Amino acid sequence: MTENNFLSLIIFAPLFGAVINWLFGKKMNSELFSGAVACSMIGVSTVVAFMIAFGIGTPHVGALFAPEGKPVLDQLWTWIQVGNFRADFGLGMDRLSGIYALFVTFVGLLIHIFATGYMHGDKGFYRFFAYLNLFMFSMLTLVLADNFLLMFVGWEGVGLCSYLLIGYYIKRNEARRAAKKAFVMNRIGDWGVLMAMFLIFTLTGSLSFYDKVVDGTQVQSSLNLLSQMTADPFTFGALFAGGLTSAAILLFIGATGKSAQIPLLTWLPDAMAGPTPVSALIHAATMVTAGVYLVVRCNGLFQNAPTAMFIVAIIGAATAIFAATIGLAQNDIKKVLAYSTVSQLGYMFLACGVGAFTAAIFHVMTHAFFKALLFLGSGSVIHGMHHEQDMRRMGNLKKYMPITFATMLTGWLAIAGIIPFAGFFSKDEILYKTFAAEGIGNWATVLWVVGIVTAVLTAVYMTRMMVMTFWGAERFHDELPVLESSTEPSRAEENAYALGDAADAKMPHGDAHALAHQAEDEDDDEEHHHLPRDFKPHESPWTMTVPLIVLAILSTVGGLVGIPYALSSIVGAGDVNVFEHTLEPVIAKVGVKHAPEFSNIKVESSEKAVDENAAHAAEPTEHSAAEISTERLLALLSLALAIGGITIGWFIFQKEPLKQMPKILRDKWRIDEFYNGYIVNPITNLSRTGLWQGFDLGVIDGIVNGIGHSVAALGGVVRQVQVGFVRSYAAFMLFGALIVIGYFIYYGLKLVS
Amino acid sequence: MDFIIENFLTILILLPTFGALAVVGHALVWKQEGGLKWITLGFTVLNFLISLFLVADKGAISASGFYFEKNIPWIKAINTNYHVGVDGLSVWLVLLTTFIMPISVLSAWRAIEKRQTAFYVFLLLLESAMIGVFVSLDLLVFYLFFEASLVPMFFLIGIWGGENRIYAAVKFFVYTALGSLLMLVAIIALYYLHFNQTGIGTFDYVTLVNSLKTGTLVFSKETGLLLFGAFALAFAIKVPLFPFHTWLPDAHTEAPTAGSVILAAILLKLGTYGLMRFNLVLFPEASRELAWLFIILAIIGIIYGALVAMVQPDMKRLVAYSSVAHMGFVILGMFSFTETGMQGALYQMLNHGIATGALFLLVGFIYERRHTRAITEFGGLANVMPIYATIFVITTMASIGLPFLNGFVGEFLIMLGMWTSTALDNITYLNWNWNYVATMFAGTGVIFAAVYLLWMVQRVFFGKITNPKNRQLLDLSWREIGLIAPLVFLMVFMGVYPKPFLDVSRESIAAIQERVLHQAGGTIAEVPENSK
Repeated sequence: MTENNFLSLIIFAPLFGAVINWLFGKKMNSELFSGAVACSMIGVSTVVAFMIAFGIGTPHVGALFAPEGKPVLDQLWTWIQVGNFRADFGLGMDRLSGIYALFVTFVGLLIHIFATGYMHGDKGFYRFFAYLNLFMFSMLTLVLADNFLLMFVGWEGVGLCSYLLIGYYIKRNEARRAAKKAFVMNRIGDWGVLMAMFLIFTLTGSLSFYDKVVDGTQVQSSLNLLSQMTADPFTFGALFAGGLTSAAILLFIGATGKSAQIPLLTWLPDAMAGPTPVSALIHAATMVTAGVYLVVRCNGLFQNAPTAMFIVAIIGAATAIFAATIGLAQNDIKKVLAYSTVSQLGYMFLACGVGAFTAAIFHVMTHAFFKALLFLGSGSVIHGMHHEQDMRRMGNLKKYMPITFATMLTGWLAIAGIIPFAGFFSKDEILYKTFAAEGIGNWATVLWVVGIVTAVLTAVYMTRMMVMTFWGAERFHDELPVLESSTEPSRAEENAYALGDAADAKMPHGDAHALAHQAEDEDDDEEHHHLPRDFKPHESPWTMTVPLIVLAILSTVGGLVGIPYALSSIVGAGDVNVFEHTLEPVIAKVGVKHAPEFSNIKVESSEKAVDENAAHAAEPTEHSAAEISTERLLALLSLALAIGGITIGWFIFQKEPLKQMPKILRDKWRIDEFYNGYIVNPITNLSRTGLWQGFDLGVIDGIVNGIGHSVAALGGVVRQVQVGFVRSYAAFMLFGALIVIGYFIYYGLKLVS
Repeated sequence: MDFIIENFLTILILLPTFGALAVVGHALVWKQEGGLKWITLGFTVLNFLISLFLVADKGAISASGFYFEKNIPWIKAINTNYHVGVDGLSVWLVLLTTFIMPISVLSAWRAIEKRQTAFYVFLLLLESAMIGVFVSLDLLVFYLFFEASLVPMFFLIGIWGGENRIYAAVKFFVYTALGSLLMLVAIIALYYLHFNQTGIGTFDYVTLVNSLKTGTLVFSKETGLLLFGAFALAFAIKVPLFPFHTWLPDAHTEAPTAGSVILAAILLKLGTYGLMRFNLVLFPEASRELAWLFIILAIIGIIYGALVAMVQPDMKRLVAYSSVAHMGFVILGMFSFTETGMQGALYQMLNHGIATGALFLLVGFIYERRHTRAITEFGGLANVMPIYATIFVITTMASIGLPFLNGFVGEFLIMLGMWTSTALDNITYLNWNWNYVATMFAGTGVIFAAVYLLWMVQRVFFGKITNPKNRQLLDLSWREIGLIAPLVFLMVFMGVYPKPFLDVSRESIAAIQERVLHQAGGTIAEVPENSK
């Protein structure tokens, strides 16, 4: 067990930054101060994370290279301890959390720098960076926690920060509604995580991720225990049996909430109401991938629950294609990217579901690079267009914003899956692993087909977005089509009703006041307005373009760390899939018993097990020729499909950038309307008319008041006494009570004597 | 010094009463009410400072597990004693009381203008009565304090309340007084039973428990259930447990802010405390027998309270219904009969006192400014009152149960306790583990809490200012910040470092759990053998 007390610096530096900005930001009233505090604190986190992960200047070997994936631990204090339950405030960095910590801090740093440019001139500058730092604290707590409960702290914390940041523009109604919707939908998922924790605790008696010794007490790793259990059979009955499958499904419910999978996906597109750096950081690169982290962290559990794995794969694939179709028809540049994110997250879960956990994490990382790039690029566009987000009023921006254009170009090629950009390798690996998945029969083929269709759709909608934004005619002053603009607001209204807001609208509002004072609210943040006649888009300042360039480089070469043997062998290189080998120890070998670190009893047998493990681990490196050729063929196919998708998109939208898309897609399959009509509104109405007015006021109070009235009628004789002041009334009651009490005491005494 | 230690709890009880006398004296002598709030504040703060000693030094712990014990004969004829003492269960509730009182005095600083003398006298008498309830170890003394706490609150609502104050006050009084009358009957019955079997009648809690444990006092199962029911009804109304909750929204809504805070923070705990102290320990078998009923009612309360809270147009009423949901969690944890669940229940009592108390204070702040609490009257307040909005959101998050704020620790322990409970093991329907199912239903309360509280926050604080009356609202004054700050501090501290709190109550809770789960309740049929 390796201890490194600097680990906590990674999480506490951003917290410190948040507190400083919170307390002094307003007084200082300086963008330089707030920005410098926030960025330097993330800088500290980044440096420390790299030091510990790679073992630079630390007494121990880097967490990414530690033998057998042993974590670096940092125990701070015991948080909750009752009976045999314990949860520590303890951190741990193993290879999985190491990779997460690296890209979270690094991408986070870039986005912080970008935000100093993007948020320039905003009145709540210090508040924004306080929230953003608080988010980094939560996210890093989530990935570095050494037990489920502390991970849950981060899990809920990122939800809170997401809530605060989506609702950052507090004056905008869509923002406040989207914020609440996001929080509540996340909460539904959190319910699953909570229940899963309880179940895991009852199954294993521990919530710790790692074997460790705290204050002389040995704490076993619940994950090891779970992976050593007998696998549940593949039947849907296992879902309700209260065993491993139930636990896995409950965890996955949490993952669907955090990572916006079916059925809890509608909050993420709405979350675009937040500032664009937030969308890039939280709703693309980091927080939304927490669900994937959770599933991969518990891969030992999932491998023992094949039914749950199957469901994860199905949900992932379904979400991927579902969101991609909606992405085809959006006109808001951020909405396109939002649906694209949902779709890509679907890919990651598909990978988890077919057992390709390494591929899932690989895609998480490359996606963090190129999606953050795309979002920041869109932010740069929005900034240059003076807060215009509708692509129908863009066009030919490559002329005005060359750096943004060039960097987004790499992001576009990366997400579409063009070799050698980052997205190609990770997506290709997922598709191949899906194709080659075992144990689910023909479903593997079905899932793979869904995967490649989604890949084509991805290429098409991304091309549409690029064409509408950067090519074609300049449409800066175009009026939006009448049909469109008249339906937009009403749809926005409908969306807003989600999760109880229908009732909000029903209540009388001070609308007259609203009209009277609208003039005063003109200074609104990011309010839409007509661009001046002589408007020319401009390129963004260096604080924004430098992060774009760095991310563009990462999106280009970031995939090279995970080139599969089948492809690297073409050019004569050996097995250079560094990424996969790094993560190997994280992926549990299920069914293999291995003794915890501190136990000396089973040394013999565990050594044998380790040998077997080594044999297992060595196996995949012996690639069979047939597999290699299949993999190469499939890689070629997915490349062809990506190019095909881009070509289709190019020819359709270059000719007609404003092409009307099918209405059902523009309406997002009417899923919000469905939720409101069949879930939210019935519950609200039931609560108001049924429970409150009907049962509470009607039945219970009816009975109570009925009794009261009949007593009052009986007491008509003594009404004289009761009339008048409360005091006399009360005094009378008290007197009555005393008589009763006195009687009982008297009665009691009589019994005794 | 010895005298002080020996009579420590008595001093805690009597000090506020002396304060009340001082208030009356001051008003009579100087014929004006200007300094009264200072006197009241002084006495409540002093009492709080003294009470801190309770956790600083436990003093001598008696064999019964109580410390600072004092037992002197009171009415010899019926063998009732003035017997007081605290243990790990009651000590935190006493501290909660002494802690909340100065805050509620401060909350009335500007709000109460009419009849200040009477107001502060009632506040101080209420404090005496509430402390008395938590430390009494004689059933009759307990009952007298329990009833005595009703009267000042009745007047607080009835005189200084809102428009419907008389209806609310009478409803509050009748509900709770009627409920507790049955308890009195049960107390007397216990006295009588003890007298019949041992020749000595007693109201003494410790004696009764010992007699039950040793088998000196036995009664039939039916008697046990009846006695349990009589106690439980009084406490269930007080908690309030669904379906006895309808007095609560009215009382809360009509009461002045100080009254609401005390009602939510402390008076409701009288019910849960009573259940834990008396029902579970005196009647363990009946408790086990009826656990399913309480668990079901608690879960209904959690979900029902949340759903009804969701549609309330009045902020205070919304918080009141949220109390029904939160107190449901306390009952759930208690009747899980696990150490985690019961520790969580006690912790949640404190959390609810702090978070909901703070919510009522915050609603009171805005009411003092606008004289309305209708949610639709507000909107966009964060623009003009940023500090208020921030504190409100933090408090809301504590109430929702966000990790690292106090609500989470309590709710988590309660749900974990219910999950690992054996209370519902004898239900075998569908061959499911119904403890799991119960937890899953209770867990939905966590989701609903986010819905109703955030919906309120969203409508009150975010968006544009739609009502011109809100345009000139002043943010919190230093007095207001000062009185809410300790609560906010505790929300964070208790969420991050619950260890000291849980450590103090561990042994007492474990003893109660051991008793309710494994021991016989003095039934004739069973041999009262203390087996684990």
